[in-house]
Amino acid sequence: MDGIVSVLQFAADGVAQQQQATANNLSNSETPDFTAQDVSFQSSLQQAIDASGGGTASVNVTPDLAAPATDGNNVDTSTQLVDGQEETLQYQTVVEMLNAQFRLISGAAGGSFS
Amino acid sequence: MSGLFGTLDISGSGIGAAQAWLDTISGNIANMDDTGPTDEAAYGAQAPVLVPDASVGQVGDGVTVAAVVEGDTTGTVEYDPTNPEANAQGEVRVPDIQLGAQMVNMIQAQTDYQANTSALADAKTAYQSALTLGT
Repeated sequence: MDGIVSVLQFAADGVAQQQQATANNLSNSETPDFTAQDVSFQSSLQQAIDASGGGTASVNVTPDLAAPATDGNNVDTSTQLVDGQEETLQYQTVVEMLNAQFRLISGAAGGSFS
Repeated sequence: MSGLFGTLDISGSGIGAAQAWLDTISGNIANMDDTGPTDEAAYGAQAPVLVPDASVGQVGDGVTVAAVVEGDTTGTVEYDPTNPEANAQGEVRVPDIQLGAQMVNMIQAQTDYQANTSALADAKTAYQSALTLGT
């Protein structure tokens, strides 16, 4: 049970950082020579879960390799807007799963399951 | 990561940058019909200088309007003999501002503003869901 909560906690932090990167990329969509940032944690988290005896996951910030426009900026506004929506839904999903875990803990401890 | 609800600040900085851009465009369009003596500089189209707030290896922190720069003040010389500022040859200096270019910039600035408000709404929804944890 502790394991699930910490995995979800890590995922919530990772998605929050992804959303922060999306907001940052959009705020710089007109900044000359700006390179968009990508944040990934999913594969690292998957490897840590799969590792026998436990592993360490990390959130990685990398530059977006898309080709820049003539002003040196490579932010694709439409992609970022879709990413923003997706990350919000992912975050809500993770929070809902955390709350489900807390309800189980509360029920198991003699309280209410709902 | 900046402060509590930091993503909102990032989108806010983007909205501010788009607003600064819109402000300069309004000023440019308002002044495109200015006239002046030929021995003085014309109004130069203004534009904000945008600089990312970045720290190495971390997610960036939004955008800053570092300065507002003035474009070419050479303008063009026009024949307007009835203008009180005209010289002996009946010429005045007018800004070299193209309405088309300013309108295109305005649409871009508006799209930029809207994209940032969209990201702001996304972040707000996510933060609100975080506030339901354990309730």
